[in-house]
Order: sequence, then C-alpha cells, then structure tokens
Amino acid sequence: MTVAVPKQSISSRLLRALTLWALVWCVALALAVWLAVHEETEELLDDTLQATAEVLIGPLLADGAPAAAVSGPEGLKAAGSRRFVWQQVSHAGPAVVVRHSVGAPVLPLLATPSPGFSSLPEWRVYGVALGRDSQLLYVAQTTGERSEAMAELGFAVLLAGLPMGLLGLLWLRMRVRQELAPLLALSQRMADHDPLQPGATLGPAQHAELHPVHQAIDALAARLVQRVAQERAFTAHAAHALRTPLAGIDAQLAVALREAPPALQPRLLRVREAATRLQRVVVGLLTLFRSGLELQREPLNLHRLVERLAPEGLAVRVQATQPVSGDVDLLTAALLNLLDNAQRHGAQEVRISTPAPEVLRLHDDGEGADAARRQGWQAALDSQDYQGRTGLGLMLADLVARAHGGRLRLIETASGFAVELHLAPLLDLNQPET
Amino acid sequence: MRLLLIEDDELLGEGLRDFLRADGHVVDWARRLGDIDAYRGEAFDAWLVDWQLPDGSGLDWLRAQRRRGATTPALMLTARDLLADRLQGLDGGADDYLVKPFAPEELSARLRAVCRRSAGAAAARVHFGDVAVDLAARGVWLGAERVELTAREWAVLEALTLRAGRIVAKTELEGLVLGFDAVLASNALEVHVSSLRRKLGREVVETVRGLGYRMAGAGPGPAEAGVS
Repeated sequence: MTVAVPKQSISSRLLRALTLWALVWCVALALAVWLAVHEETEELLDDTLQATAEVLIGPLLADGAPAAAVSGPEGLKAAGSRRFVWQQVSHAGPAVVVRHSVGAPVLPLLATPSPGFSSLPEWRVYGVALGRDSQLLYVAQTTGERSEAMAELGFAVLLAGLPMGLLGLLWLRMRVRQELAPLLALSQRMADHDPLQPGATLGPAQHAELHPVHQAIDALAARLVQRVAQERAFTAHAAHALRTPLAGIDAQLAVALREAPPALQPRLLRVREAATRLQRVVVGLLTLFRSGLELQREPLNLHRLVERLAPEGLAVRVQATQPVSGDVDLLTAALLNLLDNAQRHGAQEVRISTPAPEVLRLHDDGEGADAARRQGWQAALDSQDYQGRTGLGLMLADLVARAHGGRLRLIETASGFAVELHLAPLLDLNQPET
Repeated sequence: MRLLLIEDDELLGEGLRDFLRADGHVVDWARRLGDIDAYRGEAFDAWLVDWQLPDGSGLDWLRAQRRRGATTPALMLTARDLLADRLQGLDGGADDYLVKPFAPEELSARLRAVCRRSAGAAAARVHFGDVAVDLAARGVWLGAERVELTAREWAVLEALTLRAGRIVAKTELEGLVLGFDAVLASNALEVHVSSLRRKLGREVVETVRGLGYRMAGAGPGPAEAGVS
C-alpha cells in the first residue's frame, strides 16, 4: 500500500507563520519609530524657528525704518526657492509687511497678530512681538521642506530596519531547519531500525521533546518482537503438528500402493494425489504464515524451480527470457497451487514465461474463465477481499506476489487461463496476453 | 542397506519402515533416543534422524555422534523448514536434509545418493570387470544383460559395492543385510553370496579367508573399480 506524502509540512507552516509575524512586527516597529522620530523632528524644527526668531529680533529692533510695504493676495506665494523666510509685520491697522527676507511673501503670513506657532497650508510660522507699534516678527518654514526632512528620516529608518528584518528572517529559517533536523534524523534511524535484531533499540533521543517518541517506538518494537516470537513458536508447533502426519499419510499410501491388489490401486492413487494436494496447500499456508518475517529473495533458475513442481499428468514448459528473483519457498508454494488449479480445471499443459523482469506468466490450456468471472476475481484480489470470492490457489499466489511488493494479475486470453505474478511493483497493468 | 530410522511418529515411522523394507533395505526403527542404545555397536549404512524427539533433539544426538568420529551418512527428517534450520541441520552433521512432508520415493533416492557420495562414488554406476552395478536404478548388468536379483542378494551386492576396495567382515555384512535376523539365520549370508556368485560369476565376490568378503576387481575405492 502506498501512503501519500502529506502536503502540510511543519517546516513550511512554521516558516510561513514566522515570516508573517516578522512582517507584522517590522511594520509595527517602523510605525512606532516613525511616530517617535516624527514628533521629535517636529519639535526640533520648531526649536530652530524659535531660535532663528530670537536671533533676528536684535538687528530688527536696532534698525527701525520700513524696508517694504506691499499688499495684495498674490504676494503670499513664497518667492523663488526660499524655504526659510521671515517677515516684520505691523498690526497697527490692517496687517502690513514692514520688512521681509529675500524670497519671503510680500503679504503678511498671518492677518491677525499671532505670537507663537501657527500652521498654514504652505508654512509653519513662529511669531514673536517686537515690542513697538504692534509689530511682530514672523519666522516661517515651508511645509514642503519639513515634509522632505520627515521623508528622509523615514527612508533612513526603513533602510536601517529592512536589512535587519531580512537577516532576522534568514536566521529564523535556519533555526527552524536546525530545530526540525532531529525529526529527519529520527525518520532515518527508524528506517534503519530492525527491532527483530537482538538488543536493537532506537537509542537516546536528540531532544527532550523527542524522548516520548523514542519511548513509544521502542515500546511498539518490543510488542512487535514479542508478537513475532509468539507467531514463530506457533508456526513451529503448527508445522510439526501438520507436516509430520502428512508425511506419514503419504508414506502409508506409498506402501499401500505397492501392496494393494491391482483393482485397488487406481483408488489409492487418487487418494495419494489428494493427499499430495493437501500437502501443497498446508505447506503453502505455513510458508505464507511466516512470509512477512523472512523474505529470502534470490535470483531464480525457473527451469530448476519448476522441474520438481509439475504434478503427474501436467506438462509444464518454461520459457524464461527475463530475470526473476524471489523467495524460493514462497514461489514454490504459489506455483504448486497455481499448477494444481490449472490441472483441476482441465489443463494438460502450462506454459511459464517471463514477459518482463520480475514477472512470471502462467498460461494453461484448460477451460479458462469468462470475462465477468475473471474481473470478479481480479476485483477480489485487488481489494484483498478473498473470502468466498477467490479460490485458495489465487489467494495464495496473490499473497506471495504482495509479499514481494507486487500483485497477481489475471490476463485476458483467447483460450485457457493466464495469470501473472508480479514480483515487483506493477509497471503496466494493461499489457495484453500474446 | 541397513538403516537406522529414528522417528517418534507411529504413522510416519511405520510407513517409512515398510516402504524402505519393500525397497530391500534392512530397517531398524527407534522411536526415541533412548531406544538407540539397543543398537550400540551395530553397523548402519545410514541414519534417518527426526529432529524433534520425545526425549531430546535428534540433531544434538547426531552432533554427539560426529564428535565421537562417527562417519555414517545421516539424513535429517524434520518439519523445520526455515533456512536457518536447514543450515543448522547440515552444519550439525547431517549429509542431507528433508523437510516433511516428503514422498518416500524421494527419501529413498536421496538415501542412495548420500550413500554413494559417502562411499566416494558420485556416479550411480560402478563397474567390477564385466559386472556393472547401478546404485540409483538398483540394477545389475553382466555385460549387456540385466541380471535379476532377489532383495537380499541386492542388499549383499549393494553393501559390498558401497564398501568396494575394502574387506567387509562377515558379521558386519550380516548386520547390514539381515539386521537382527542375522542371529537367527547364521548361514543365510553364505546362501545369498553363493546365489550372487552363481548369477554374476564366481570371481565377483571374493572371500578373504578368516576376514570377510570383498568385491573382486575393485581397487582401494570405487573410483579405481571403474566408476562411470
């Protein structure tokens, strides 16, 4: 049975979660840093405006003559590319710019006297009273300049944070792989672990979390070993209890055949044939019972293997062109039963061939079976639902093929009956019988 | 051949004993290891040993015999079919290993093969001048003519052929051919030897005065006696 590899992987799930968490964390951290830096930068820029105003007050108080007096809405635009300006504005009547720096708007930045900080769409303004004629000094900076400074700071924060984040992510991925490596090592150790070897254990766990897994596997292996020991003991007893009387029956019949009058001999011969068939079934079952434990796979000489298996009255022809390997005892049991089947269903001859490596095909000239019956048997073999649906011979042969990693296939033929023992995973199920 | 069958199962033991006797062998049947003491000092052509016996292991008994230097060919008859068991049996001193159930005909054939090999004659047919003895086919030819022998005559010829090249003491030959019956019929052996000489020629079985019998025309071993 093939078990599908699960699509979900602990490693990829963990990495996905960590990446997501790292991204959220990076964004949150960047936002927090941005807010703090933004606040501090605003404060710093305001302090600069304030300091500039205090520096300018002295010279302006010393020089009292108005330098310019311009009014009109078009004068509010910042002239040229000046990003930092000042205005001396009189609020005695309507607000009038008394003096201003080069590039400053010619109209007052603020229409009403506003000492302290004010924000306009294009300017950040700091006003300070000059102490005569209701005049104020306005020092201003363009909001564009302030935004640019903020953007540069934000970019710098991002530039510093991103490599850190990427490095952190790479480090986390590495750590995840390192932490999951013991699981892979455990899988490998389990694959190499043979609990039936005396004193075999999985060994100490690499991590505390894997200790219970090791304990559970060792406990499972101990139960398996105990079960196998019981089954072996039972098989040995059953083998002795069944094989010896069968040998005795055959020996007695052989003697009886020699001693009996000619009239009785055909009857005794039939009894001996039946006893031989019974032997094959019993030996097959006993062999199969211990098959999962000790598969002795070796290259097969089919001619030699089949030589002694052919029942009386059945011609067996072997045409081996491809290599076949398998457990001799198991295959003997399977072939004996298949040959016996063929003979009981009217076959005079069975051809054994090897259509592909690790495939044995038996084709007899017996009565065969119609497509519906053959498909019914095949379905029973495929689902391993043997009871009441297939004979013992087919079941035994299928179990033997499965013990080798393959399956039994019933092949469509023009005449007779054909089966294929695949002794390796199936390659082509639809190859027609030729 | 004189065979010692060690088998506890009545059905099988009786069947094998009768089958082998019908084949012309002398069969002594021990049902337990303890019964073997009765045959101490007796010569056998082969031992047929069951592994699991009521009072011990047949393989352990065989190992003990081998340690004492016994070279009698031995066949293990057992229900144990695992490769490890077969290896253990063969390494333990068995010359062949037969897993139950088996056809008695196969046992008989293997027995002949084992005894031939043990005697140093791998081939089935051995020649003594004009006489050819086929141990596998259980037949004898004088020139091109097949000669019919009784079971006892064949037993004498077979015992001497398997020991070709050496003198076989009369008592040993009696034991091999007649078994325990030898005591009851002390001149029976001479009768069979005489009959054999009449059918195959006087010179075939040579009497070594005071010592026993030997196949004539044979050298130190069957190979020199003309193994084909």
